[in-house]
Amino acid sequence: MSDHTSILRSPLILGNKSYSDVTEDVALPLDRSPGKEWWMAFAVSSSMLFLGLAAVTYQVMTGIGTWGLNNTVGWAFDITNFVFWIGIGHAGTLISAILFLFRQKWRTSVNRSAEAMTIFAVICAGIFPIIHMGRPWLAFWVVPYPNLRGPLWVNFRSPLVWDMFAIGTYFTISLVFWFVGLIPDLATLRDRTASNIKKKFYGLLSLGWDGSNRTWLRYETVYLLLAGLATPLVVSVHTIVSWDFATSVIPGWHTTIFPPYFVAGAVFSGFAMVLTLMIIARTVLHFEEYITLHHIESMGKIIIATGGMVALAYLTELFVAMYSGNEYERFAFINRMFGPYAWAYWIMVSCNVLSPQLLWLKKVRTNVTLVFLLSLAINVGMWFERFVIITISLTRDYLPASWDVYAPTLIEIATLIGSFGLFLTLFLLFTRILPMIAIGEVKGVLSYGRASHEAPKAEGRYVSAAHERVPGGVR
Amino acid sequence: MKHKSQDNPQGEFPEEFGSQSRRSFLRLAGFTFAGVALAGCEQSRIEKAIPYLIKPEEITPGKASWYASTCRGCSAGCGILVKNRDGRPIKIEGNPDHPVSRGGVCAIGQAMVLGIYDSMRLTGPLINGSLSTWNAVDRTVAGTLQSLQSKNRGVRILTGALNGPTEKVILDGFLRRFSNAKHIVWSALSQSAILEAHRLTHGMRVLPRYRFDKADVIVSFDADFLGTWISPVEFTRGYTEKRSLKGMPPMCSYHVQVESRLSLTGAKADRRIVIAPAERIALIQELYSALTGKRAGSEMARLGRRLQEARGRSLVVCGSNDLQAQLLINAINHALGNYGGTIDLNTPSYQHQSDDRAVQGLVEEMREGNVGALFLAGVNPVADLPNGSEFAGLMKNIPLVVSFADHVDETSSQATIIAPDHHFLESWSDAEPVDGIVTVNQPVIAPLGNTRSLMESLSIWSGRPKSALQLMQETWSRSVFPRRKKGMGFQEFWDRAVHDGFVEVHPTRRVLPRFRPGSVEPPVAQAVTEGFTAVLYPKVTVLDGRHAQNAWLQEIPDPITKITWDNYAILSPEAAEKIGGMSGDIVRLSLPDGSSALELPAWVQPGQPESVVAVALGYGRKGTERFTSIGPKWLQGRPSTGPNGLVGVNASVFLEFDNGEVKYERNGIKIEKTGRRSVLACTQTYHSVDSPPLLAGEQRHRRPLVQMTSLAEFAADPTAGSYPKPESRSLWSEEHHYDGYHWGMVIDLNACTGCAACVVSCQAENNIPVVGKDEVLRNREMHWLRIDRYFMENDGTTDVVHQPMLCHHCDNAPCETVCPVQATVHSSEGLNQQIYNRCVGTRYCANNCPYKIRRFNWFDYPRDNEKENMVLNPDVTVRSRGVMEKCSFCVQRIQEARIEAKRQGTTIRDDQLKTACEQSCPARAIAFGDLNNPETRVSMLAKDPRQYQILAELEIRPTVSYMTVVKNRLDVKEQDNV
Repeated sequence: MSDHTSILRSPLILGNKSYSDVTEDVALPLDRSPGKEWWMAFAVSSSMLFLGLAAVTYQVMTGIGTWGLNNTVGWAFDITNFVFWIGIGHAGTLISAILFLFRQKWRTSVNRSAEAMTIFAVICAGIFPIIHMGRPWLAFWVVPYPNLRGPLWVNFRSPLVWDMFAIGTYFTISLVFWFVGLIPDLATLRDRTASNIKKKFYGLLSLGWDGSNRTWLRYETVYLLLAGLATPLVVSVHTIVSWDFATSVIPGWHTTIFPPYFVAGAVFSGFAMVLTLMIIARTVLHFEEYITLHHIESMGKIIIATGGMVALAYLTELFVAMYSGNEYERFAFINRMFGPYAWAYWIMVSCNVLSPQLLWLKKVRTNVTLVFLLSLAINVGMWFERFVIITISLTRDYLPASWDVYAPTLIEIATLIGSFGLFLTLFLLFTRILPMIAIGEVKGVLSYGRASHEAPKAEGRYVSAAHERVPGGVR
Repeated sequence: MKHKSQDNPQGEFPEEFGSQSRRSFLRLAGFTFAGVALAGCEQSRIEKAIPYLIKPEEITPGKASWYASTCRGCSAGCGILVKNRDGRPIKIEGNPDHPVSRGGVCAIGQAMVLGIYDSMRLTGPLINGSLSTWNAVDRTVAGTLQSLQSKNRGVRILTGALNGPTEKVILDGFLRRFSNAKHIVWSALSQSAILEAHRLTHGMRVLPRYRFDKADVIVSFDADFLGTWISPVEFTRGYTEKRSLKGMPPMCSYHVQVESRLSLTGAKADRRIVIAPAERIALIQELYSALTGKRAGSEMARLGRRLQEARGRSLVVCGSNDLQAQLLINAINHALGNYGGTIDLNTPSYQHQSDDRAVQGLVEEMREGNVGALFLAGVNPVADLPNGSEFAGLMKNIPLVVSFADHVDETSSQATIIAPDHHFLESWSDAEPVDGIVTVNQPVIAPLGNTRSLMESLSIWSGRPKSALQLMQETWSRSVFPRRKKGMGFQEFWDRAVHDGFVEVHPTRRVLPRFRPGSVEPPVAQAVTEGFTAVLYPKVTVLDGRHAQNAWLQEIPDPITKITWDNYAILSPEAAEKIGGMSGDIVRLSLPDGSSALELPAWVQPGQPESVVAVALGYGRKGTERFTSIGPKWLQGRPSTGPNGLVGVNASVFLEFDNGEVKYERNGIKIEKTGRRSVLACTQTYHSVDSPPLLAGEQRHRRPLVQMTSLAEFAADPTAGSYPKPESRSLWSEEHHYDGYHWGMVIDLNACTGCAACVVSCQAENNIPVVGKDEVLRNREMHWLRIDRYFMENDGTTDVVHQPMLCHHCDNAPCETVCPVQATVHSSEGLNQQIYNRCVGTRYCANNCPYKIRRFNWFDYPRDNEKENMVLNPDVTVRSRGVMEKCSFCVQRIQEARIEAKRQGTTIRDDQLKTACEQSCPARAIAFGDLNNPETRVSMLAKDPRQYQILAELEIRPTVSYMTVVKNRLDVKEQDNV
């Protein structure tokens, strides 16, 4: 069928897959018992998770003092991890919602995993604002609910309250969006499984999907609406997170550039994380034909673009600090670059500004190993970006007498490892329980079934796509 | 609440203080606090209150009673007022009427209230180390003394300064029973040379009373008179009064400090001359020669001229225990006509009476085996004497050694019998710190243990057992009452003295001493020796170590180094470079003959000569092993004690007897690096008010936090030294309105010496926990009030400034907007209030505080000791883990004053309300009050041209402001002009 391939575009899915091939390929890992590699990965990630659980338990029982924080530095690893994980989530929403609205068909192979990543990242992120509280058992006090204490209300001027709303909304919309996208695939799984238990499980979750045209139509509408709803979240969530810092009076925090800066950084780090995960998944689960070099290259290009924005933000920050004439501000930035934590700043710059520049080269962009390494570097760099902003600004603010240094304790390091453990464990379980690739959506971008005539023009594509799909269950 | 006997406070709240003491304490505290809060509102009133069946006189639940007494933390004899709540002393404050201290109390005095509840204080007499009864003690003592009468072995009593009329009478009565008995006075911080010098020059072995309140020109050679020398509270008050900058030309004394280590006093000086100890005698000689017209042109000659101009109003003091130096100082003061002016010999001071020669004599007698019985009170010679370990060995040969110590320490552990004296807050006693001022100690609580007053013990052993009160009244009617100034009966005289805490009487008549010319000989110049000179000094916090077991004092940062929980070897940067060490390197200091050595961490600090290494005395004390696990216990927690299991190391091995006096300087010290490191719990990581030069860029380095100017500039322009007020605009749409009170504070940095009295006062008032060395190292000290110490470097000279830093109660407080749960809110009177039980502990407020004064409860700080918990102020909540806390402007005091004012139908007067820090400040540097009332001290200071706010450009509108430091110079940047 190679003659049906467009001469203008390389195909999105390789290997001349038929509809049934797709179903088979994606669903097969769910039928087989997991391989040795999965078990090894699971053993490692769940150990990390339990280490983190132990650390958090100990910390909640003993006190925040088990962290390296002090009178001067009230936030460090905790909020760094929070912002880092929230940022990771952004790529998923961007891929699933914004790229959907922009009709980027290549997204179909990665959007399911990217959305899953978003949800898991938000779960990881959401833990930190709770456990960073001195009395986490009272965390519900930041929620405005009718109560008998006066009633005592929350302080709507506090960015932490805005955070609570932003993250709550983000998590809810992402979860619903993800779940709705999963319904047709769940129905597929329901129909092909032999196990009764699985049939019940998938049957319940697929909400009685029957694959009729009407169902598909409704589904498409809901999906489009949810994509529209999720789109502003890509911008709003990290904007609000950045206000935690921008509305404060601390030099290095009090910066109006933060909202766009944080959003760009979030997308940047999110795509790096998507790349990390996808490259592992395509290798381990043999999805090379679905997650092709084309995907990796496209994401590399997004990284160049967002990395550029991040670099611009860094420079703007420095320029404004110098130009403002505010001596505290100026000092905060010089101190970042050359002070006791200069190493952290330069790790950030090397990873986030210098390393993505390699992606301008097509050779690098299409070299899976190099891209994988670069994606890891960007993950590290973006973690350090948050550390630089949050912690270094706090260590040296206005009064030199209150300046101090910060070093993490074992408990904090274990908590950070634990958050990765949670993320990876959830992701590994996801690869075992749910289809990693959106079967229904991928089928829509196959050339299969369009053998005898030219593929329809892109504009009308999604309307006509519905009848082209093979209803779930029919193979 | 049911009233029970106060005699047994351990059983006072049997159930509550049992298994869940903290919680029940909170409940009790909550009750009283709620009571105060409710009583402050008019809407509601307490409807149910259970009255006493028979109300004890003086005690009203929830209302404090105050008793006047005398502080015995050191021998200065400051007047104090002890706050009693429900039978328990919980706070010590200065007695404003007291003629010596005039309302101030130092850090040590403040901390004495913790000592009474010290769980390690002996609860009964010990015979050979095991708990015994007083009967057994009395039998043993009587028996041994009886047997001594036959053999001709002497009875010796070694005490610290003992100046109470009654104590002296009892002691003399006891000694008179023996044919060979002697009373020897000695203190670890000996001023023996001053006394000895006056014996030679004036024929009277006395310590004169120095009147810093009359001195226009002060030259001090190594006398840390604002920190540790003789009577710092009294001197601080006098000194700051003379530098009040009132009038025109502004009143400001000229103070030159010639010293070999950076002291608290040196930090305040207008001119600081750094010398090696060996150079001191030559400089004093030079000054003397200049005054007698023999030399001119040198620095000392210029200084001499300045002193001459202020004849009779100048004061030259020397803190060195060197007889030759003191003789010259006397001659200088005589030449300047200061005797009778700034130096008072008519009503001399009895605050120090130490006689180093007598102590040497005692040791000699002990060596010869001539001492049959040794009584020790208020001294710890084993730890403090140059040859302490020898003393300990010799004690074993004495048939009867009785110690009156209230702890098992180095000396008392060697004693046959420990007959513990009461804490001074539990006992009747008296003191006469200055001739003509007799002060009273009255018990403010029944003794917590089975202890017995020293006076009672001695009276029993003299065969005339009487209670301390009886003894005191007898003595007073015989020797104090006849000296009365106003005619009144004894009962009235006595009642007044007890009520006021002191009585001013006629000084004992004496022949006015004259200076004897010819008694001063030109001194022998000291040979310059190889190696370092160790300068052994007392710290402002633990002095000679007698308070080493007081956790509050151990955790107060040293005013100069800002280090807690340790002593260390202070080296100049040049010396550190020479030995290739840096702060935290453990160095080994050893005597040239290798006979003794100390290993302690180095601390590098400017302000001392290259040849000097300064080490604090009073550390490495037995008993401090109790602090090993004083902090929170957790995975990475580390002990508060050093490798020897104690806090610091005892540097007294470097002391020596030299020519009759204990010498606090030791030459020829070798310093080597050991290669090991130890971290010092310093509360500051950065010490300059200037940004680090490498990071500061080409623009201004100095942060506009401390304003300093010279007297010349100030006289010309009272706003001199002010930083330009930055232009800023508030984004807030409306101003806050304070219709009633608007509380605010002004801190005069020119008066503040950094003595840390306010820090301890705040700690005592507000139930601030001690967190231990490791937590301080992690910069998690809990003090609500800290004192920032900055070095200001100007063209080679270094000035030191202290800036007390506490919650600024900003009108536009950045902490208030960011709290998600409104746990920190603004009151209608301008207070920034922290609501502990609403706080969830996000620490956002602390991050957003530009002054970084908020304190977080990182752990549940141990409060396991029931007895020590009795010091807690029931008006202030004990905070639980996970909540933020900070200075409240002593809101409990505001409420109390409000209730009282309401009861009287008036508003709060300025003198009715003082915050804890303000009350105790010996320099009266802190003014707190209502900014809306133009009559208050704070309002007047707020209008002073010297007043300024820091970080005002953030538009946070702080209500705490500061006042410019004025140095008596022509140009503030140059010390060397007058």
